[in-house]
Amino acid sequence: MKVTEIVDKLGLTVFSGHEGLGKEITGGYTSDLLSDVMGHAEGGSVWITIQTHRNVLAIASLRDISAVLITCGEKPGDDTMAQSNEEGIPVLGTELPTFEITGLLYSIIC
Amino acid sequence: MRPFSADLHIHSLLSPCASLDMSPREIIAHALSKGLDMIAITDHNSTLHCELMVILGREAGITVLRGVEVTSIEDVHSLVIFQGEAETISFQKWIDGNCAYIPNDPDFFGDQVVVDSDENVIREIGHYLPAALNASLDEVESAAHRHDALFIPAHIDRPSMSIISQLGFVPDDLCVDAIETVGTMNDLLYPVIANSDAHIPVHIGRRYTTYMLDHPSFEELAMALRGEQGRHIIQTVR
Repeated sequence: MKVTEIVDKLGLTVFSGHEGLGKEITGGYTSDLLSDVMGHAEGGSVWITIQTHRNVLAIASLRDISAVLITCGEKPGDDTMAQSNEEGIPVLGTELPTFEITGLLYSIIC
Repeated sequence: MRPFSADLHIHSLLSPCASLDMSPREIIAHALSKGLDMIAITDHNSTLHCELMVILGREAGITVLRGVEVTSIEDVHSLVIFQGEAETISFQKWIDGNCAYIPNDPDFFGDQVVVDSDENVIREIGHYLPAALNASLDEVESAAHRHDALFIPAHIDRPSMSIISQLGFVPDDLCVDAIETVGTMNDLLYPVIANSDAHIPVHIGRRYTTYMLDHPSFEELAMALRGEQGRHIIQTVR
């Protein structure tokens, strides 16, 4: 499934990194601890988090994450979006809480 | 100039997680008995014990710096150390303006009390002090520097509430004056210091740093962190 498909199916906002909307998603990882994501997230995942710090993009790039999905209506800062555009990794958003969007994503990806 | 030892991360009983034995008087007495020349009082998101600590320290002959341990929105702890009373008061206003005001449950988290020099409780703080402010790490850093304070990410090598646990690594454009570690992580791009993070009296001075200074003060410490005019960090002791 491509990033753009989950955007359409779940009505997600695309904040940045439009270039990466064609990336393939093979799974998901939900965590707000970047040290945890750095150690455990699988490549090809969509990473669901409430963290908006620009370091998120560095970790996403390191782990070959396909897209970052920010929950609870939080918005990334300009520096985070700039990094996303540079890396070509989309930063998406939803108003839904992390638990709900994780469940919805699980039902369509897995 | 000569070496001076300093422990710049100490909680008083105002922090809910600190023991009620951590009264300002008790902290000073323990710091003196450990042979420390300078300490900083750094409660969670509150500077309400700073003035009393400075006064008691002056009476007892130990330098006390005003400080605070701020929790930013990423759940990262950072120390902010102030030059004087005016900057401290102004920074506290900034904290209060970014506070989430989540009620404290003293039975669960612990009491948050302000005491006077005779250890009488004069005020209880109703909101849970360590809760994350509605301000990012970058915003804390710029607020600290707007107040001419020192900005020092706390216990960065600890597995919780640290810049590394929460954010994976230290962002290279974050302007830090030093970094506090608890372990032996020394291969950093930044000046490294060690402090006790004491929450009980016997922990005061369990970790500290020695500095080459003319005398113990905020200005001398700032020069030592920058390595100016012969002032420098001598070693971290753990």
